[in-house]
Amino acid sequence: MTDTDKQEKQNAGEQLASAISSEVMIDLKQVNKWYGSFHVLKDIDLIVHKGERIVVCGPSGSGKSTLIRCINHLEEHQTGSIVVDGITLDKNLKNIDHIRTEVGMVFQNFNLFPHLSILENLTLGPIWVRKMPKADAHAIAMEYLERVKIPEQADKFPGQLSGGQQQRVAIARSLCMDPKIMLFDEPTSALDPEMIKEVLDVMVELADTGMTMIVVTHEMGFAETIADRVIFMDQGDIVEENEPNGFFNHPEHERTRLFLSQIL
Amino acid sequence: MAIVKTENTPARAAPLTERSIIGWMSKNLFSSVFNSILTIVTLYVIYITVKDLWVWGIGDAVWIAETRRECFTISIDGACWAGVIAWFDNIFYGRYPREELWRINLGAILLFIWMAPLWLPRVKAKVFIAVTTVFLYPFLAGYLFAGGDKGIFMQVMITAAIVCLVANTLHSIIGVSNGTSLPGLVLRLLGKNNAPEKSQRIILFSILLVCFIVVYLWQMSWSAQGVSWTKWGGLFLTFVIAGVGIASALPGGIVLALGRRSKLPVIRVLSTAFIELFRSVPLITVLFMATTMFPLFMPEGFILNKLTQVIIAVCLFNACYMAETVRAGLQAIPRGQFEGAHTIGLGYWGTMGLVVMPQALKHMIPNIVGTFIGLLKDTTLVSIIGLFDILGMLRSVSRDTPWIGLHKEPLIFGAILFFLICFAMSKYSRHLEVKLSTGHKK
Repeated sequence: MTDTDKQEKQNAGEQLASAISSEVMIDLKQVNKWYGSFHVLKDIDLIVHKGERIVVCGPSGSGKSTLIRCINHLEEHQTGSIVVDGITLDKNLKNIDHIRTEVGMVFQNFNLFPHLSILENLTLGPIWVRKMPKADAHAIAMEYLERVKIPEQADKFPGQLSGGQQQRVAIARSLCMDPKIMLFDEPTSALDPEMIKEVLDVMVELADTGMTMIVVTHEMGFAETIADRVIFMDQGDIVEENEPNGFFNHPEHERTRLFLSQIL
Repeated sequence: MAIVKTENTPARAAPLTERSIIGWMSKNLFSSVFNSILTIVTLYVIYITVKDLWVWGIGDAVWIAETRRECFTISIDGACWAGVIAWFDNIFYGRYPREELWRINLGAILLFIWMAPLWLPRVKAKVFIAVTTVFLYPFLAGYLFAGGDKGIFMQVMITAAIVCLVANTLHSIIGVSNGTSLPGLVLRLLGKNNAPEKSQRIILFSILLVCFIVVYLWQMSWSAQGVSWTKWGGLFLTFVIAGVGIASALPGGIVLALGRRSKLPVIRVLSTAFIELFRSVPLITVLFMATTMFPLFMPEGFILNKLTQVIIAVCLFNACYMAETVRAGLQAIPRGQFEGAHTIGLGYWGTMGLVVMPQALKHMIPNIVGTFIGLLKDTTLVSIIGLFDILGMLRSVSRDTPWIGLHKEPLIFGAILFFLICFAMSKYSRHLEVKLSTGHKK
């Protein structure tokens, strides 16, 4: 990456920042991670402001999932610093637990709890972590189930729902914790084509409420509509970072162009 | 040319071979000449075996007699069940004083009352009931069986057990009759059901405290006559050893399994060493160690009776087996479940207790019950080190003067008893599996 590249990137970042909010939600500095001897994340720098919506894309194995999993410490980074909402991620378990209550995450495979009903899935966090009275937790859970448009499924079990419904429940489950940041790890990759839209609709709605979001996805249409910034990763590097229009129409880097030509 | 179907094909009944008994038989028993021959031969073998057994055990059997000699004079070829019947009390209760047998029966009835709510669908807080069964009932029952002086500790535990038993039972009756809970009803009677949660808690706690004190004072007024453990025996002793083993194996196994998977090296190494040590030694060795070697290592004056030593040995041994079962169950839980729990902010204990363990235990039910059945049968080994459990009692029949030499009948009776108990446990585990499989399989 040349110096001019870096300069441009910074400029773009600053412009966007002024458009959104100056409050920094996530601050990654020189983050490195290895799986054994394999270098997955290489000197990652990333600043996410409050209310910003960021889409991360890139070929498989590029480290994009690892990147967002580091943010709520599902994966441990080895060097560099990660600061989320003013709290530094270190070995301190209290900090980790605190950050996890502020950061919601939605997985490719939903990871709902199969032994609990939908409602219990949603109220588990509020009741046990937030120590909320049961009645309040139920009310909030039902409110979010309405928002993802499946209140009638409250008493069913995850195994009885379609993939799209399960993923919407997973989104509602995260929202019940009233997070400040939402991370999405390929939320539509495990879904049948006809169910992708219902999940994306929910995510677009969520974006409209001003939630800070980082989304790892291959849904380029979605990226174009909601993203403030698109980040392209390859082999552990952030190769290119731009607002969606520039990213899709005038990709600068050769690898970005190659990737876009393959998926569009 | 395009093909368009204008009408839906109606559903039709399955062919006769799929739904009648004759159809089933022709498909499964007589599908070919070879299979038909196999079926007939097998049926014949079953017939001759069962017929001889029937004649010996029921047809020519003697049910009423005073001695074995009398049995022979009545029927030389039949079984002499009279001996088993004469020894019934010994087989079930050992040499427990006959006028105190009601205490054992009462203990069994209390256990039934305590656990019955677990099977009633409308009762809430079943976990609490189950936990108190495991941790409080043994003290109450233990005192009931052993009697003697109550120490301060025993008095406190007995009081707690009685308070819990009464509260559980009332709670279950209320739950079954109108679907609410005991605390709910108490608060409504006091008109405090809309009070803030904190003051409700204080009220309930003070009521509980008052009950506790009342029961404590009451229990000081009576005591049970002491019965030495040497008089315990028969099926009762088997149940005591197996019961304590079963009740402690699961909690102990869970602790050891979590220890073995711990990230802290010291805990992990210690748990692993402990588990492997006990698993690689036969139970009978552990029992001998416990009764002969263990006292040597203890400080002078510290004496545990043999029964306690045996129970401790059985508990440790089975906790180690259970630990491996639990570990297998934990490993079957996908990583995503841990991550899902972490992302909603649950820590280690929350993740384990609310998300992972409930699922793992469900997967493990067949193995857990398998271990329990093994445990129950293994307790018969204590007859080797001189405790008169059910096997010891069954074998004593043949040494009793009127029934001298009567080996077969008591042992067969014991086998039938064991079969009934173990088969019931196994059936119940199947039932539990089906009942708890909500949401796993669609």
